[in-house]
Amino acid sequence: MSEILWEVLNHIEGFIYPNEVEVNWSVLIALYPYITGLVAGAFIVASLERVFKVEAVKPTYRLALLTALAFLLAAPLPLVAHLGHPERALEIMFTPHLTSAMAGFGFVYAWYLLIVLLLELGYDYRKDVVKWAQTATGFRGFLYRILTMGDYDISEETLKKDEKLVGIITVIGLPSAAFLHGYVGFIFGSVKANPWWSSPLMPIIFLFSAMVSGIALVLLIYMASTKLRGKEMDMECVDTLAGYLLYTYILDLGLEFMEIAHLLYTQEEGIDAILILINDKLFVSFIIIQIFFGTLIPITLLVLSKTGLFRAKVRKFFYISASLLTLIGVFAMRWNVVIGGQILSKTFRGYGYYIMPLFGPESLTLALAIMVLPFILLAIFVKLLPPWDEPPLWMKTERRYD
Amino acid sequence: MRKIHIRVAMVYITAAILFLIIRSFVVPPTFGEYDWYRGDSVREIMELPPQHANATVCKDCHSERYDLWSGGAHSTVSCESCHGPSYSHTKDPIIVSANVDNSREFCGLCHAQNPSRPADFPQIDMDTHGNGNLCVVCHNPHSPWVFGGE
Amino acid sequence: MITRRKFLKALGLLSATAAGVSAKTSRAEPTEYYDWSKHYYSFVVDSTKCIGCGRCVRACKLENEVPLEPFFFRTWVERYIWLKGEEEPYVDSPNGGFEGFPVIYDEKAIRKSYFVPKLCNQCDRPPCVQVCPVGATYKTEDGVVLVDEKYCIGCRYCIQACPYGARYLYPFNGPRKSRRGTADKCTWCYHRITKGLKPACVEACPVGARKFGDLKDPNDEIHKLLDENRISVLKPEQGTKPKVFYIGIDTEVR
Repeated sequence: MSEILWEVLNHIEGFIYPNEVEVNWSVLIALYPYITGLVAGAFIVASLERVFKVEAVKPTYRLALLTALAFLLAAPLPLVAHLGHPERALEIMFTPHLTSAMAGFGFVYAWYLLIVLLLELGYDYRKDVVKWAQTATGFRGFLYRILTMGDYDISEETLKKDEKLVGIITVIGLPSAAFLHGYVGFIFGSVKANPWWSSPLMPIIFLFSAMVSGIALVLLIYMASTKLRGKEMDMECVDTLAGYLLYTYILDLGLEFMEIAHLLYTQEEGIDAILILINDKLFVSFIIIQIFFGTLIPITLLVLSKTGLFRAKVRKFFYISASLLTLIGVFAMRWNVVIGGQILSKTFRGYGYYIMPLFGPESLTLALAIMVLPFILLAIFVKLLPPWDEPPLWMKTERRYD
Repeated sequence: MRKIHIRVAMVYITAAILFLIIRSFVVPPTFGEYDWYRGDSVREIMELPPQHANATVCKDCHSERYDLWSGGAHSTVSCESCHGPSYSHTKDPIIVSANVDNSREFCGLCHAQNPSRPADFPQIDMDTHGNGNLCVVCHNPHSPWVFGGE
Repeated sequence: MITRRKFLKALGLLSATAAGVSAKTSRAEPTEYYDWSKHYYSFVVDSTKCIGCGRCVRACKLENEVPLEPFFFRTWVERYIWLKGEEEPYVDSPNGGFEGFPVIYDEKAIRKSYFVPKLCNQCDRPPCVQVCPVGATYKTEDGVVLVDEKYCIGCRYCIQACPYGARYLYPFNGPRKSRRGTADKCTWCYHRITKGLKPACVEACPVGARKFGDLKDPNDEIHKLLDENRISVLKPEQGTKPKVFYIGIDTEVR
């Protein structure tokens, strides 16, 4: 650790407070809002079908929910891994300091996981789980039988009630998802000491970029999964999702523009430092990756797809490229907020430097490992709780376990 | 009420009660004694051992030095500014901190010419003043205008 | 505060009844020999006197087991230099001023220059305390912001929230084992001032540039300093209400 700080010392420009040499919030903290953003975004995709009755995206409903769950389970990992004392992490739930934006994490997380996601999945999958529990054997059968909680009543009437209940949970879940992520934005937006963070727009910018990244992720996972399963892609579903991606993107871009415009126009203390931050220190990650490759190109691709000039095959290629670029661009946004905000010294007279270690705590390897984990979890979930609509789910497993 | 609702509710209520029970064991007993923090923490910090004593304590044993020092131009310079933290020495005189650095550079920390220093503060040109001799050859560090050194 | 306390008591009572443990007892002051309600501390830095010798930085590090590497400081000294023909000052703080300040510009090129000692401002409205998610940092009754090294989880939100860069994460190779991986900051030497001693930096300052006093003591010399000088605080626009008052600094000092 110390060696890195000595190395950082050679890269510091201007004057920073001596305690600012260490960049305290590392790549892991950039990863955390990225992952919760994907959760919130994926959930909002799921609720498109439930709440807003967008029938076209139905094939992605359960997939989006499972994606949200997989990423939600991984979300606390970067946080806990970065703590100086991970063994004390639960203090945040035992003695939450109510004036702290961060103190809400435990409760917002628990609420979202236990009340929203698990219940919605549980009641939505109930019919299938009961069917599987009656047919599957071995460990899987055991698991399904636990999941039924001993209630095998799947009469038409109860299923209708379940349907209604899931609807209610989704309605509760939508503001919860928005809060889960908007609150992450508030953690940064409320730091008045840092002009690059301090902004009332921060929560809503985080929310919209979260939706952008979540839609892109679900789109990508849906396209990849149909390909892997050798199924025909539902082009209407993909087109609709891409449409929503475009609309949220435009809102996101608008918000981002408002934020920057406000910074540049009001010219408050520290503006000179911020200008150098944007034009020099973060030029590659902000202007090139986040704005150009991560926002403008995907928007262009999505607009082109909307024109109707392109065949399905070309559109698919556009969607894949746009989604991938989006996922990179949104991560760059998180990076620029978290790391950029710390590169900018609170003296407004200098710039720190961030060196990401390849191995060890708070390293690139750890960040990658944490990022891979939700995909592994998703693969397991999809195996245990197949989210595909056709053929009727239990029939498929019945065949397998006969 | 359907069986599933009751069972799910039971699982959640059990978890919540379990949480509260664990919480009551895990939260330190003095947490909230004054406000939203561990009251014992204040006492722990208060009980940390000091490292620096104070010139008045030094006087108890080193009274001659003390008199020379307190009458001279260095009377504003605490003993421990040069001699180092000596609280443990005052408790047990056998513990002696490291020797005082009597190099020119050490005196220069305060007295080397530096344009950022207040103009009325005594500063010297390190290159020419004293012909490179140790400062203590001429100045008595305990009272610098007493010449003849230590 | 009262509502929070009430909420805490309710929570405590709830958990106490749940587990069958007795309710917490409350005491008026931390220890028998010290009553914190009778003190309210304040710090005055007279920048016009500072000679940049760095004895305060050294004394602080030795007093408080602060790691000696140049990335961790409870207090440090900055040098401001306005060069002729330039508007913005040049600022530096090599190793926090621990080894003094080598001359870098010729006197003839300098318009104005002085040293500014920095330390925790023990804000009356501390943003660091506000953001601590677990209650590991707090303001005492006598006005000092402390960190509970046995309770801090090391999330570093407080470090981000401090506008003055007064906090750092105590490194994992630091000399004090129980403090590793937690936030650390200047305590105005709380273990000294509660025993009637001065903070180590004040003790070590050879020119009286650092003055520490008790506002609740009418005979304290700090009143004279505050009343007879024009004083300012750092970054007043942050609304933190600092309790370290500066004499003789320009607005460029922040």
